[in-house]
Parts: sequence; structure tokens; C-alpha cells
Amino acid sequence: MAKCAAALALVLMFDAVLGQLSAQNPFGAPRPSGSEPHVGGVVGWLLAKQSEFYREMSSTIRAAKSDGSAVWTLLAISFAYGIFHAAGPGHGKAVISSYLVANQETARRGIILSFASALMQSLVAVLIVGVGAWLLNATAKTMCGAERAVEIASYALIAAFGARLVWTKGGAFIAALQAAPSAPALVLAAHHHDHGSARDHHGQANHVHDEHCGHSHGPDPIQLAGPGGWGRGLSAIFAVGIRPCSGAILVLVFALAQGLFWAGIAATFLMGLGTAITVATIAVIAVSAKDLAQRFSAGREGGGALIMRGVEFAAAGLVLLFGAGLLFGYIAAERVTCL
Amino acid sequence: MVRNRLRLVLGALLLAVFVPAGSAQAHPHVWIAASSELIYAPDGSITGVRHAWSFDEMFSTYALQGIETKTKGIYSREELGPLAQTNVESLKEFDFFTFAKADGKKTKLLEPVDYFLEYKDAVLTLHFTLPLKTPAKPKELALEVFDPAFFIDFKFEGAEPVKLVGAPAACQMQFLRPGDGAASAQKLGESNFLNGDNSNYGAMFANKITVQCP
Repeated sequence: MAKCAAALALVLMFDAVLGQLSAQNPFGAPRPSGSEPHVGGVVGWLLAKQSEFYREMSSTIRAAKSDGSAVWTLLAISFAYGIFHAAGPGHGKAVISSYLVANQETARRGIILSFASALMQSLVAVLIVGVGAWLLNATAKTMCGAERAVEIASYALIAAFGARLVWTKGGAFIAALQAAPSAPALVLAAHHHDHGSARDHHGQANHVHDEHCGHSHGPDPIQLAGPGGWGRGLSAIFAVGIRPCSGAILVLVFALAQGLFWAGIAATFLMGLGTAITVATIAVIAVSAKDLAQRFSAGREGGGALIMRGVEFAAAGLVLLFGAGLLFGYIAAERVTCL
Repeated sequence: MVRNRLRLVLGALLLAVFVPAGSAQAHPHVWIAASSELIYAPDGSITGVRHAWSFDEMFSTYALQGIETKTKGIYSREELGPLAQTNVESLKEFDFFTFAKADGKKTKLLEPVDYFLEYKDAVLTLHFTLPLKTPAKPKELALEVFDPAFFIDFKFEGAEPVKLVGAPAACQMQFLRPGDGAASAQKLGESNFLNGDNSNYGAMFANKITVQCP
């Protein structure tokens, strides 16, 4: 029942936001023929929208100095911005979704993870500006440097987290391969385990010895099917959540300069809430798709388990790829640009 | 039957994981209202580009964070000197977001000269001139201003945001904003979301200046 209510609330919220948006000129700007770039469909629209919200924030914070009620507008804009903004890169959508698929998590835990990591992103942003700008009166250069360091740390953590997932999921996949010996071609693909993650593997229940895909007394799939444990969930939250959104930092510094730091903090958390809703929606889609796949493959002899372990292994590999790609700049995500 | 459905669901699963990753394109956090002047020598060769970039209010405030001044809220050119220095040094990493081609060949721009910041009406403006490594007299000079990562959105506003200074009378300047038509020829749809290399994603937001001299 509560679930239904939440879903309904979500739909209504989206509907309200969309309704309000479509009432306006889709490209807002008054210039003829639209100086807004023609980016394809939904993505372009999201880009245009969130830019609009973001730019309204500064004027709203300014207005809030003299008119307290503008704070409510600020909060509403921040929330909407969060929803739209999270459709862009970062915010851990891909990482969280892949992790959920790899780790047999439930949709419910997916939602919790999304909200927890978004909350942490907000906290980190408030912390950076609170300590950096408010307490130490550091310059933008110093704060941006800190932001960059945190960004690199986040990417490294995602890569390490992915390596650990690949290690455990690789074991399960190999075990499934041995249970279904009819698929020799896939054995090569299973060779992908990461030696760098060896340190993670001690003290884990799913201990895998893998000498050239020979012996593998990994856990059986049912053992791994249990919840990944809060430890692993917390590492996911930490790896994703440690990186704050640059937009939030700009808003916080601006609010601080206007003497309305508290309004900036409130806006940041509303942004985080909006972000969490988008990330959670995508996470739930990923988990549901996987559950469906599981249901269909369950009807198949032997091969079903193999497919599912393969999907999990691939998803684990994706987390590692995202981390490594972001770390080495192959994925041109929203990099922090210090001017 | 079951196999087909399974394939369908696996496809959907891939989409659910990939689409957010791929379609997740960068979006700007900094807006710059730009204006540029192309500087010509008396002999008709182009010597450099003079930019004036006004940052949006939010970024202006952010950039000024922690800068001490004699009078609160008033920033002199001298007080902003170290920040201007930081700006041009940081911009180097991004090639000053200015990309020049003379007759189709990439032209090297030198590090900026005459750079300074001014603060007026809550907006910070960075002025700087990028000299051409070797002044040239190309038949066609193409200049693009944009951030390939699209962290910064450059908008050339006003009636005459691009000017030729001292150019031969016969030279014709054409300026295209992103989305003016020419740029949309290379637009990226959602179709190429799996193309891993989106490093030049910002190119479709390029402001293109072309000068043709007979």
C-alpha cells in the first residue's frame, strides 16, 4: 500500500513538473530561431530544462534576501533541477544500476541505495563549502582543487569496487559454466578476472581459486543470491556519494555570499532529493528488467542459471569499466573544470 | 518463444544500464557571455583574437570567493590580478576554448597577453588577447569558440558580438551560433549514445566565426 502511494506520488510529481514545463516555451530563450543547440529529442530537452532551472536559482536566492517567500520557490526549483540534472552524467545512475544487477539486489534496496548516495553527495557538497568557504574562507581555486581530488578518489573507488565485484561474480560465473559444460566458447570470456582485487577477497565467503579456469570451488549461485550485505551496499554508497555535484557547490557558495547559507543548504538537499528520485527510477527499471530476465530464464534447463550469472558478471565488469573509464578520462563525464 | 522473449528482456536490461550511461551527456555549469575581436595588422594579416568573457552571476560570485579587498564588494583590477593569472593559467589546459584554422589548417595560438579581470554589476569579465603564433593572411580563417566537454556554455550575445578590427575592407565575416543551421549538420542524436567517445560532444555547441578575404 505504501509502495503504491509512493509510486502514485512520484507520478503526480512528474506530471506536475512536466505540465508546468510544457506550458512554457520549450526553449525559453527569447531569441528567434532558438540559439539553444539542437540536440536530439529527450536529451536536448532535459539539457535545456535543467539549464533554465539552474539559472533561475541565482536570481531566486538574490530575491530571497528581501522576500522570504522566495525561499519556497528556490526549494521547488532546486528539487526540479535535481530531477532533471540527474538525467545527466554522474550521480551514480550507471554505477548503482550495474551494481544492483550484478549483486542480485532488490528494487527496494536499489531505492535505498539511490537515496543514501544522493544524501551523501549533498552532505559532501555542504561540507566542502562549509569548511572551505565559510570556515576557512578559501579561494575558489583551493575549493575547486579539493573538488577535483574528491572526484578522482570517487572514480578510483568505483573502479576498485567494480574490480571486487568482477572478482566475486567471475567466480560465480565460472561455477555456473562448469555446471553447464555445453558452452565452451564462453570460457575465454570468463578469463577476465582482476588480480588487482586480490586483497579484497580474503575473508569473503565466496572464496574462489581459479588456476586457468581449472578448479573453482566458488559458492553455488544460490549462496550468492542472498543480499549482498550492507558492507557492500555501503561501499557503493560511499564510492558514488563522495563526489559532490559541481552545481550544488556553486549554489552553496553563491548563497553564502548572499548571507543565505542556510537557504543554499536547504536547496542542496532538495536537489539531492530530486537526484535520488531519478537515480532510483532508473535503478528500479534495471532491477525489474533483470527480474524479468530471471523469470524467463528459469524455465530453461541449466542454461538459465548460466545466463543470469553471465549477466551479473557483465554488470560487474561494467562497474569496473565505468570506474576505470572515468578515472583515465575515457568517459568524458562532467569533469570538474577549474578556471 | 521463450528464447525470443528472453532475448528481448536481456536487450531491455542492456538498455536500462547503458542508456543512462551513454545519453548522460555533459551539461553546462558555467555560462559565458562572450564577445570577440579579430585584430589585424596594417598589412592586412590577422595577428590575434581579443576575447571578453563575462561569467554568469553564480560563477562570478564563486570565483571571487575568498578574495580579500580593501572595500567590501568592490574589486579593483589589481586586486583581481592574481585571479586573472589563475584563470589564464587554467584556461591553457583547455586551449582557451578557442580553435583557429587558416585555410583549413590548424593555427597555433600563443599564450594570452594583456589579460585582466573587471567586476561590474555582480558580473566578472575576463579580458585577454590570444596572439597568432605567426600572423597570417589566409583566404579563409575559421575560428571556433566552445568547450568540448560542455561544462561551459559560450553565448555570443548582443548585436555585434564578433568584430573585425583593422581588417582589409574586402574581408567578409560570417558568424554562426550553435543551432543556426550549419552546426546542426553535425548534431548528435540519441542514436549514437553507445559511441564511447563523446569527448567532442561540445562541438555541436560551437560558435563559428569565418572570415573570408579575397
